[in-house]
Amino acid sequence: MELEQLLDFKWSIMTPEFIILGVATLLSILDLFMPKSMDRKILGWIGVAGIAAATVSLAGFIDEPVTSILFDTFRLDSFAKAFKFILLIGSLFVLLLAISFEKKDGLAEFAGEFYYLFLTALLGAMFMASSGDLITLFIGLELLTISSWVLVGVTKRNKKSNESAMKYVINGGISTAITLFGLSYIYGLTGTTNIKDMSGTLMTMGGSQNQLYLLAIAFFMTLVGLSFKLATAPFHMWAPDVYEGAPTPVTAFLSIVSKTAGFVIIVRIFVSIFGSVPATGAQDALPMLLHLQDYIGFLAGATMIIGNVIALRQRNIKRMFAYSSIAHAGYILVAFTSMSYFTFDAIWFYLLAYLFMNVGAFAIIQLVGAKAGSDDISAYAGLYRRAPILAVTFAVLILSLAGIPGTAGFIGKLNIFMGAFATEPAHYVLASILIATSVVSYFYYFGIMTQMFFRPAADDSKFNIPVALLVVLIGSVVGTIALGILPNIAFDFLHDNFMQFKDFLQ
Amino acid sequence: MSGVPASAFLSLALILFCIGLYGALTKRNTVIVLVSIELMLNAVNINLVTFSKYGMMPNITGQVFALFAMSVAAAEAAVGLAILFALYRNKKSVNIDEMDAMKN
Amino acid sequence: MENAWIIPLFPLLSFLFLLLFGKRFKESSAYVGMLLTFASLVYSLLVLFERFSSPTYKQEGVWLTIGDVQLTAGFEVNQLNALMLVIVSLVSFLVHTYSKGYMHGEERFPVFYAYLGLFTFAMLGLVLSPNLLQTYFFWELVGVGSFLLIGFYFYKDEAKAAAKKAFIMTRIGDVGLLIGMILLFWQVGSFEYDAIFAAVAAGEVAQGMITLTAILIFIGAVGKSGQFPLHTWLPDAMEGPTPVSALIHAATMVAAGVYLVAALFPLFTASDVALTTIAVIGAITAIFAASIGLVQTDIKRVLAYSTVSQLGYMMLALGSAGYVAGVFHLMTHAFFKALLFLAAGSVIHAVHTQNIEEMGGLWKKLRVTGPLFLIGTLAISGVPLFSGFFSKDEILIAAWEGGHPILFLLAVIAAFFTAFYMFRLFFMVFTGKSRSEMKNVHESPSLMTLPMIVLAVLAVVSGYVNTPWFGTFLGDWLVEGNEALGHGHVEGPAWIMIVATVVSLAGIYLSWLIYGKKSLSRNWLGAQTLYKVLYNKYYIDEFYSMTIVKVTKGFSHFLRYIDTYLVEGIVLGVTAFVQTLGRLGAKLQTGQVQTYSAVAFIGLAILMVIFALTGGYL
Repeated sequence: MELEQLLDFKWSIMTPEFIILGVATLLSILDLFMPKSMDRKILGWIGVAGIAAATVSLAGFIDEPVTSILFDTFRLDSFAKAFKFILLIGSLFVLLLAISFEKKDGLAEFAGEFYYLFLTALLGAMFMASSGDLITLFIGLELLTISSWVLVGVTKRNKKSNESAMKYVINGGISTAITLFGLSYIYGLTGTTNIKDMSGTLMTMGGSQNQLYLLAIAFFMTLVGLSFKLATAPFHMWAPDVYEGAPTPVTAFLSIVSKTAGFVIIVRIFVSIFGSVPATGAQDALPMLLHLQDYIGFLAGATMIIGNVIALRQRNIKRMFAYSSIAHAGYILVAFTSMSYFTFDAIWFYLLAYLFMNVGAFAIIQLVGAKAGSDDISAYAGLYRRAPILAVTFAVLILSLAGIPGTAGFIGKLNIFMGAFATEPAHYVLASILIATSVVSYFYYFGIMTQMFFRPAADDSKFNIPVALLVVLIGSVVGTIALGILPNIAFDFLHDNFMQFKDFLQ
Repeated sequence: MSGVPASAFLSLALILFCIGLYGALTKRNTVIVLVSIELMLNAVNINLVTFSKYGMMPNITGQVFALFAMSVAAAEAAVGLAILFALYRNKKSVNIDEMDAMKN
Repeated sequence: MENAWIIPLFPLLSFLFLLLFGKRFKESSAYVGMLLTFASLVYSLLVLFERFSSPTYKQEGVWLTIGDVQLTAGFEVNQLNALMLVIVSLVSFLVHTYSKGYMHGEERFPVFYAYLGLFTFAMLGLVLSPNLLQTYFFWELVGVGSFLLIGFYFYKDEAKAAAKKAFIMTRIGDVGLLIGMILLFWQVGSFEYDAIFAAVAAGEVAQGMITLTAILIFIGAVGKSGQFPLHTWLPDAMEGPTPVSALIHAATMVAAGVYLVAALFPLFTASDVALTTIAVIGAITAIFAASIGLVQTDIKRVLAYSTVSQLGYMMLALGSAGYVAGVFHLMTHAFFKALLFLAAGSVIHAVHTQNIEEMGGLWKKLRVTGPLFLIGTLAISGVPLFSGFFSKDEILIAAWEGGHPILFLLAVIAAFFTAFYMFRLFFMVFTGKSRSEMKNVHESPSLMTLPMIVLAVLAVVSGYVNTPWFGTFLGDWLVEGNEALGHGHVEGPAWIMIVATVVSLAGIYLSWLIYGKKSLSRNWLGAQTLYKVLYNKYYIDEFYSMTIVKVTKGFSHFLRYIDTYLVEGIVLGVTAFVQTLGRLGAKLQTGQVQTYSAVAFIGLAILMVIFALTGGYL
């Protein structure tokens, strides 16, 4: 590759990534040279500023037509932009949580790492959103995964944190291997790692029965491997243990940013690769993705049932939210299964809504958990008495998670629900599981509400809300209610700027 | 080399993958489990290189992919071992079945 | 009318204000709530009067765009909405006033008023909604409000359980509503009431689909309005404070189901099956709940079952195509049932018990509450010249003319039961010997009696807006300009009115014999030699006590068993199943990381095996 050619690339479209990378590097250097005794919080705020700057620069590219550089390994299309917004906003909130997280269990020693590893993980996720090649996709995925392993175990004197990090590593390693094994077959059948070329090759490949079989096996392996990132069945079981043991901001990160990245990659790979292969030898046959959608639907149904039903038995609120996050991933999989004409909108909106409601909930979990010294649900008894505003905030977020009208969660579910009916044939079974399991979820969500409103408080001590947490709480409640009452804000933004992702495959 | 069909390499990779998976799912020592995961990743590398050489459309990309996969595997192993160290300091054990402080 | 949207905002303001500043205001927060709901009431009255002279007003804007579909939001003032606005805001205002006295000394006084504001907001928003989606929105919010209000005494386990039960049971109905709503949306392409009616009228929707969606939506109404078999939450919900019962269980939340059916009436009339279902469920509920009411001893539970029964009446009316009758009864019932609940609250406030066995002879002590309670009782029993008489008469005519002689008969029997148990309640509470332990019984403060007096006046006069004698003003107005709703007044045979009167008087008389005069044994065993002459003289009474009463008592117990074991049993069974599933799932989560990966691998293997076995593709 000639130097001119290298310089010819329109590197500017990577500006958001460069900013994140630069800030992460800056933070690691600063951390190295800062005196040991100095408070590292300032590093966190620099990180926040960096993410904000990256968001602004991304907003500057909103009207940019589809651009790809480095031989189409990095592409900035509307899909990438739309999901990067979610990733960036989510990380911004998570970093604010991290700033106000109590530094104990050996965390004080690694406070610097604690901040910049979020940034490297975010960088990985952003690369996933933009990648047009399996190799970049894989590198982005691993950057995200390895950074989050360290983050989960960052409180290294805490046994639970160690243990959950180890579990996360083992499950993550296996899932990576399974995914890669699937991807290697796809490479073998197409002879390329570029996603666009792959879909071109596969579309014209007549395909013998054997090749299609191999492709289907690759489909299943990739699906199961990636379901680790989404925390959906069958690779969901790590989630409760890891969520419980990880520091709360990391838990929030896993349930928001990491999950979003998982959906980004799964949509990228499956829609562009398996969405264009004819499922049988005939050229006019249905794409493989639609042919095999019953399998995804089966996993979605299982995920919703498992998540919501087991959540009923949880006393530890972080575990409960782990199961609830499994269930929510199941809801989004329903949208992915139905592949209706607004599937992308539905997934994007649900992830955005989930970002707001979940990050606020974790902010409160962090606050109450630090105060009570435990994540047991009884710590919430009489919260309304102790801190009425906090309790009402939590109630709004929980109502949204439960999907009560007037909140973002309801609009998100409505979208998915309508999507499931909009296709031919309609997915009645999945839609009814969605409804039925939502009803089940009321039990545990309202269990928390009962604790907060209907139980006497153990003590009457008040809460000190740090500024950073306050920002998160206000942001999440405003977002949840605004998207619930005026959802068109988000949809107009989506439609005006992203042309319904029509450039996805260009 | 030309005498060996591509399917033999692919079978080897599959067998290696299964051995790795078996080890990862059954061994008690966490170090062995991490090593088994490496085996699974190496099976992938064999696949990639085979396809790169004998695939339907042979090209160099597969080997590049394999290089990336190797370096990532190294990073994975490093982080995994580091976390195991931290765990060992607190628990004085590397047995995987003793990690059950969190369940149900 | 252009500004009708402002009506629900007053109580919302009250809610937000009290939530933020309630603690500072203590008990004077009641004035905030009263003032703001009074503003709603005044505005609602203005809208109602304006609506008399001007046509339906509707305003909407685009709210949400999904793909090509645009969903709208806005508000509509038609006859039904305008009427409901006044009913809701009036009862809410009176309850606000009454609670100032009733809840006096309660520690969480401002919270109570905040919840009342939220609930009123939701209910007013519900009746202004011009489309199904918005209705559903507020419908759920009403559920949330009632959850908070019923569970207000959260330190009582029963109250907590009742709140949860009310919420969950109504949610079961809501699932039906949601599915019906979405199905309808895919058939019609709009959630708008107008668009739905137009599509149905134009025959764009298949008959089977109309029936299906209508029944699914009706399931929502069944949950909310406490119809059989989802009624069990309603009596339990009496654990909430009594003014809440008056608000939720007389005039607003439970009426929402009836309102929904009325608002979607043209959809229901398009399907005979759906109409018949409604009528049958309504009639069953009416007699079922009334018969259970015969043996209750808790003053509020008697009223609760009577509410369920009266709601059944309304459903019966609507199901018999008696739109006017249903809405008319909805209105009169709102007044007299709110009156009864408030009066019951006044009694409880005075004697601090809810068990009617422990009451008696309160007539002399509660000189205001007593007569007011009597007015309410007369109205609900359908005694001529009171409001309940006219509306119940309309319903009976509708049932008869609708071609349901059996349902008509059930309704008549239920009317007899109603008169009987309501007067049983009255006699046991207000007549007879006063108990020695009830020395310090005082009449409630005027803050509590004034709202009751207003309701009592309405319970008497509100019937006269639609009578066969002085004109059917309400009916004519309600159906004006809308053919689909039927006629303003349906002429029925004159004997129905006579039957209704006789039945209600007979019920009262029998009740008087047993509980007032005590000439019949309270145990309904009848035949005691002392009263043989009386029996011979009133052969019909003996007949009652020997046959009907005895049979019904058995029947009533039988139904209660069904209620306890079958309906609750199914609910318990489902719950137990889900919990077992949860326990199993949690058990699988062993904490062993290798199990987790193994499960993932087994999942992968299962997918592949199914794939291989099905020969490739499903």
